[in-house]
Amino acid sequence: MTSRRQLLRGLGALALVGCRRERPVYEGGRIVVTFWYAFGDSARKVLLELVARYNASQDRVRIDAVHQGDYFEALAKLRSALAAGTAPTLSHVVCEVLPYLARAGVLEPLDACDGVDDIPFIPALDQRGAFAGARDEPRVSVPFNRSTPIAFANGDHLAEARVAAPGTWDELVEVAHRLTRPSRGGDVRWGFGAPISWWYWAAMVGQGGGRLVEADGRVSLGGSAGEEAIRFWQRLVQTERVMRPPPGRDYQAWQSQSESFLRGGVAMMWSTTAYVRYLEGAARFPVVAAPLPRRVRASVPTGGTMFVLMRAAPAEEKRAAWDFVRWMCRDEQTIAWSTRTGYMPVTRTAVQRLEAEGWYRAHPNDRVAYDQLADVDPWPWAPDLFRVERDIVEPRLEDAVLSGRDAHALMDEARDEARRPA
Amino acid sequence: MTPRSRWHPWAMLAPTLVLLVVFFIVPIGVAAYESFFSWDLLTPPRFVGAANYRALLAHGELLRVAWRTLGYSAIVVSGTMSLGLALALLVDRPGPFMAFVRASVFSAYIVSWVAVALLWMWMLDGESGVVGGLLRALRGPGAPSSSVLGDPRWALVALATVGVWKLVGYAMIIFLAELQSIPRSLLEAAALDGAGSWSRFRHVTLPLLMPTAAFVATTTLVTSFQAFDVVRIMTQGGPARATELFVYAIYEQIFLDLSVGRASALTIMFFVMLVALAALQLRVWRGHARGAS
Repeated sequence: MTSRRQLLRGLGALALVGCRRERPVYEGGRIVVTFWYAFGDSARKVLLELVARYNASQDRVRIDAVHQGDYFEALAKLRSALAAGTAPTLSHVVCEVLPYLARAGVLEPLDACDGVDDIPFIPALDQRGAFAGARDEPRVSVPFNRSTPIAFANGDHLAEARVAAPGTWDELVEVAHRLTRPSRGGDVRWGFGAPISWWYWAAMVGQGGGRLVEADGRVSLGGSAGEEAIRFWQRLVQTERVMRPPPGRDYQAWQSQSESFLRGGVAMMWSTTAYVRYLEGAARFPVVAAPLPRRVRASVPTGGTMFVLMRAAPAEEKRAAWDFVRWMCRDEQTIAWSTRTGYMPVTRTAVQRLEAEGWYRAHPNDRVAYDQLADVDPWPWAPDLFRVERDIVEPRLEDAVLSGRDAHALMDEARDEARRPA
Repeated sequence: MTPRSRWHPWAMLAPTLVLLVVFFIVPIGVAAYESFFSWDLLTPPRFVGAANYRALLAHGELLRVAWRTLGYSAIVVSGTMSLGLALALLVDRPGPFMAFVRASVFSAYIVSWVAVALLWMWMLDGESGVVGGLLRALRGPGAPSSSVLGDPRWALVALATVGVWKLVGYAMIIFLAELQSIPRSLLEAAALDGAGSWSRFRHVTLPLLMPTAAFVATTTLVTSFQAFDVVRIMTQGGPARATELFVYAIYEQIFLDLSVGRASALTIMFFVMLVALAALQLRVWRGHARGAS
């Protein structure tokens, strides 16, 4: 009976400790920092190698990296854990949710962190450059795995059709026609493919000269540019029949499209710079990267995630977590991470070293991705941005492309809903 | 048996009552309360009255989710019951081959929903899947998607079919057990009276199977209303929300769309729908029972 009582007491104490920690956790004399990450496959392998290298490099801090699914699964878990007071000290989140989390006051301001101003971040990838209207906001994030949308083409298919990657929307239609053809067994080789996703739609809004949120804070969803983007997709799928019909939702669609591209089922696709190493490694044909085409101008949003520290974590753990983040931002780690995964190097000095070492000459696809940073349109620093993305726009995009619903009516409905309080 | 004290029955019921109150009544009460607030878990909740219900009704979201869930359940329950019964009749024979068939069909039931969902995702893939390729050929070039899971007209049917495939073994085993408990003398007597095989099934076997059918219907209905894993893995509620069933919609509202109030309102409406269905089922059963007596 005594042992049962002891067990219950122990479990009770554990539950209390798990609910809200005020004191840091030490193990073998080292402070333990829990880090929730959201990568699979090769990115996960590279990250875990870097974490192991950091843990071996010093004897004060141990980073305990815990996999939490994809970005959106990890974010769902992080929000629940924040509400329950069981969040990790360190995590990384998609850019679009940063303004919301910052407003909720759950993120640690990093302006006072040791050496943060000395890290030479590439402005377009850093919080203050990646968001419009964030100049006066406290820094709550540090760039980690950053990317932009990019076009990839099958080099053999381009050569066979004697075409180059398109530079404009009109050229995209023409090139996609030239690349689309029936293949063996009655299957179609699609000229073009893109996940029907907020990220690519946001790029097209910028290319059409629109903005998601106007300067006065009104959610316009790009106005006519947002509608034109939808019409363009509808045209490619339903009228021209040169775009692979959307294969599903979220990362399922991305994965399915990449697999189709690698099998030769899609000749040219929009994807992410983060896939460059994976595609180059897995393809049995030359993979050619190209910037996204322009309509009235060139434009791409940034993607990927930023490191964030949780405000409620014990101070010692936050200091230890910051030591790891700063270590990850050093050139050696930034270069190892970006060259092995395809995510962008986040500091200017890392890029200079890569230039000097001839990396971009040897890897022209990485050069395309880096050069495209000149066309980055910042996200609006709007706390509702993530809700607008996930709840309002994303489901309507699929609906529009699959059912052919009127783009103007659909976007009007979306704008109405976006203006309504959550 | 008369209790020695009037508290004894309550003492006996207490463990169940405590569990019921803690894990059912209190959560439902909390959900009902939260449904009158706008809350994202992280910022303070704001009282909005019935705005969450109005929003669900105004956009037609509630009706769409309810119809989708009912449609999914209708396919799963009817498909599972009819195929389960047909299979049970088919394999109600002795011999090692039939034993092998019974075990094979039932094996799908013991596999986890996650494994089943992944398996069918590959099989239904429009480009490389065995079933997907066949379906694509059948649907013809006008199909808006390369895969049935990407086609809003067919995605829900595809998910429900996967549900039937998974549950049919369970229904088959339950029907088989009941079939084997029907006294052979009844069937022989009917045959002596000149009843053919269809008449014997229609007038002897089927009435005796009705209580089992009601049990299979109820358990399958409950399982179909709880569908989540298969949606989460195969479609994430897409395409264009065509497979967003109640449980998944609640999950999406609370965890992905940051809206606890809207999710709570959906939970309450789901609860009301289940209570209404349970009441309807009870009424039908009582009607049958009265008819039988």
